[in-house]
Amino acid sequence: MSHVAIADQEAHLHHPKTFIGKYIWSQDHKVIAIQYASTAIFVGLIALVLSVLMRLQLGYPDQFDFINPNSYLQFVTMHGMIMVIYLLTALLLGGFGNYLIPLMVGTRDMVFPYLNMLSYWFYLLSVIVLLASFFAPGGPTGAGWTLYPPQAILEGTPGVGSGIVLMLLSLAIFIVAFTMGGLNYVTTVLQARTRGMTLMRMPLTIWGIFTATILGLFAFPALLVSAIMMLFDTLAGTSFFMPAIVSLGEPLEHEGGSPILFQHLFWFFGHPEVYIVALPAFGMISDVLSVHARKNIFGYRMMVWAIVIIGGLSFIVWAHHMYVSGMNPYFGFFFATTTLIIAVPTAIKVYNWVLTLWRGNIHLTVPMLFAIGFIFTFTHGGLSGLFLGNVVIDLPLSDTFFVVAHFHMVMGVSPIMVLFAAIYHWFPLISGKQLHTGMGKIHFWGTFLGTYAIYLPMHYLGFLGVPRRYYALGDSSFMPDSVHSMNEDITLAAIIVALFQLVFIFNVIWTLRKGPKSERNPWGAASLEWHTPDVPPDQGNWGDKLPTVYRWAYDYSVPGARQDFIPQHVPEEDVDYEPGGRKSHKT
Amino acid sequence: MSWTQIFTDKPWLPEAAGEVPDTDTGKAPGQIALRMLLGAITILFLLFFVTFIERSQFQDFHALAGEPWQPFTDSMRLWVNTGVLLLASLCLHWAVRTSQKQQAILLLLGGGFFAALFVVLQVSVWQFLYNLGYGLAENPANSYFYMLTGVHATHIIGGLFALLLVGRKYLAGADTGVALRACATYWHYLFVLWLVLFFMLTRTPETYAIIAAFCGLG
Ligand code: HEM
Ligand SMILES: [Cu+2]
Repeated sequence: MSHVAIADQEAHLHHPKTFIGKYIWSQDHKVIAIQYASTAIFVGLIALVLSVLMRLQLGYPDQFDFINPNSYLQFVTMHGMIMVIYLLTALLLGGFGNYLIPLMVGTRDMVFPYLNMLSYWFYLLSVIVLLASFFAPGGPTGAGWTLYPPQAILEGTPGVGSGIVLMLLSLAIFIVAFTMGGLNYVTTVLQARTRGMTLMRMPLTIWGIFTATILGLFAFPALLVSAIMMLFDTLAGTSFFMPAIVSLGEPLEHEGGSPILFQHLFWFFGHPEVYIVALPAFGMISDVLSVHARKNIFGYRMMVWAIVIIGGLSFIVWAHHMYVSGMNPYFGFFFATTTLIIAVPTAIKVYNWVLTLWRGNIHLTVPMLFAIGFIFTFTHGGLSGLFLGNVVIDLPLSDTFFVVAHFHMVMGVSPIMVLFAAIYHWFPLISGKQLHTGMGKIHFWGTFLGTYAIYLPMHYLGFLGVPRRYYALGDSSFMPDSVHSMNEDITLAAIIVALFQLVFIFNVIWTLRKGPKSERNPWGAASLEWHTPDVPPDQGNWGDKLPTVYRWAYDYSVPGARQDFIPQHVPEEDVDYEPGGRKSHKT
Repeated sequence: MSWTQIFTDKPWLPEAAGEVPDTDTGKAPGQIALRMLLGAITILFLLFFVTFIERSQFQDFHALAGEPWQPFTDSMRLWVNTGVLLLASLCLHWAVRTSQKQQAILLLLGGGFFAALFVVLQVSVWQFLYNLGYGLAENPANSYFYMLTGVHATHIIGGLFALLLVGRKYLAGADTGVALRACATYWHYLFVLWLVLFFMLTRTPETYAIIAAFCGLG
């Protein structure tokens, strides 16, 4: 039974006694997960504040002394980069990946706990380096989260001295951290599953995290390549990306480099990156929908294929971000085609979520509200993606607020909906307490309606031609006055949404301190993570003996069974069927 | 475990419940992780190469070999370094195959020593280039040479740290079979990667033109 030996290795489980060993230098995947999650949420809050500052400028131009063109660009850049990399990627994979993988596949810890611990500390280091750029001379870089050369490292862009260098360094450190964590996630899923946990019995959450991790391992190298080459260009004066430039009548030392090359590298990473965020979200939302609709997920196998196919295709669509870079029309045609093809498996997933709800026994709990909210926001963002995927439609819309609206619906709001669904859903497991429902509902409606109020009007602004990343619009004649009043309204909505997040933070703090103990498995979930001997799970997760898995993770409302769910580790003999109900095929 | 399950399994059928299929892969986790890591490093260098080949077709690119006065028209130094790295690789190759602990320890030390020596020798090549006036930013060909050999050396240094950790455990008597074999595989990989680098960085302009045409980047 060699695989049990791997899953059950007591040998590499540490049993630290001291506080520091237990909570600081911990090798326990649950502690590491919480470290990852709290760090990510902390930087995420900084990025949220930055976005409000941006909105203040856009809604009320020239009213605030502390926002000038430079700081505006710095806010935009840091907001984007933090949200995409240091919040979403870290929270979904480092946080939820770490917490859920060992529990959902039934193992005691990640296969390389020490590497896992290192992964967190490298991540923290990358965050510190990133935040240090706020205090560096010249401040953080203002090159936009895409960091396009040549402007990213030219005089005139904010943070050109140290900001950009710290940014690139921080990214490189993050990639090292991600690789260490990622090797763990992939190997644990492939090698450390408990007895009976076949690949096709894994919850979709695991499929999503697993595929996203593989995407990350193969896409982050592209970012590392561009970061290293750009570091050489700024620090050593090489000309990898830098063309010959005459600045104020003086030729610069660079010549002959190719800025377009950077764009290719960046988006060869950047597009898979959006699915590194989306796939775990897809997986988690599938599980939340299924549990709270008391129905198995519709089309499980199709869902698995879709995840894998989307993952594969996401490597051959990158140039749809570069339609305006002057590419060969055949090239654009190719990428438009692949881009539209990727929408097919994506649409299948949306249909399957809706079909999971159809005739389900829907419980409108807080996680379920967020999950249903996600279906709306994701569909909207996906539809605007279809517009942008076509070259001719993209040309006028590129670099306008339409793109901002698209990617915020699909990559801003949607993953946030999933993260909140996941937090409300798994909070009782992680902390033993259940977040307050009333506050949760207030939080949901404020966030859901509020984000629509922010992003729907942005589509319209985009159609009017309002460009993104502009500090001020001035008196552009092609823009009607409504643009300005709309910008004001969007800013108000943004502030309101930000305030609604305080309800959530208060809810978490209040629940942790004063909240009543939650019952075990309050949602009646069938997957393994809810069935540990202790809740919250203890070191080593499973007590003396690892569970054995007898079924897939979605046995909800099984015909003939008295209980409306059958946990994965319950053998057929122990299921309480009504007389004449389903019989085990073995009897 | 097999990937065909994705196409054939029907976990939702009542008949599927209750079974406990065998999920053993017969592989050690270390092997899987190492393969993923090598895959990622391969992609890293592939992307470097793609940019390199594209850049090599620009007017201002002066290859480091071809004419007699260019530094790697005679690449003896690099061949010496290749030999040293080969020794490192061979040491680890034998270290995981010998059954005598004494011998294994010596071979492990040898593997580490030659790898470290290789890094030092690479630095001396940098000095050699620099003294000839081939500075880092003078020409993209030079930039690529310094950068790619540097990234490669960084991977060796990372490997040395891993070897140190595993070696310590081995001395302490822990079961390090899989980990040592992983180190050996990593060493062989870095050796082969070096051969590819060596080849790529020391071609003549004509060869680059052929490679570029072959990759559709000409
Ligand atoms: C239905 C599938 C999708 C299609 C057809 C699509 C298409 C596009 C296109 C063509 C652009 C470039 C617009 C431009 O710059 O002119 C774009 C931008 C973007 N998309 Fe999508 N997209 C899809 C889904 C997604 C998903 C699922 C995510 C994330 C989870 C995402 C995140 C982004 C981001 C972040 C950007 C903007 C990057 C930037 O310029 O800063 N998209 N999308
Ligand atoms: Cu994309």
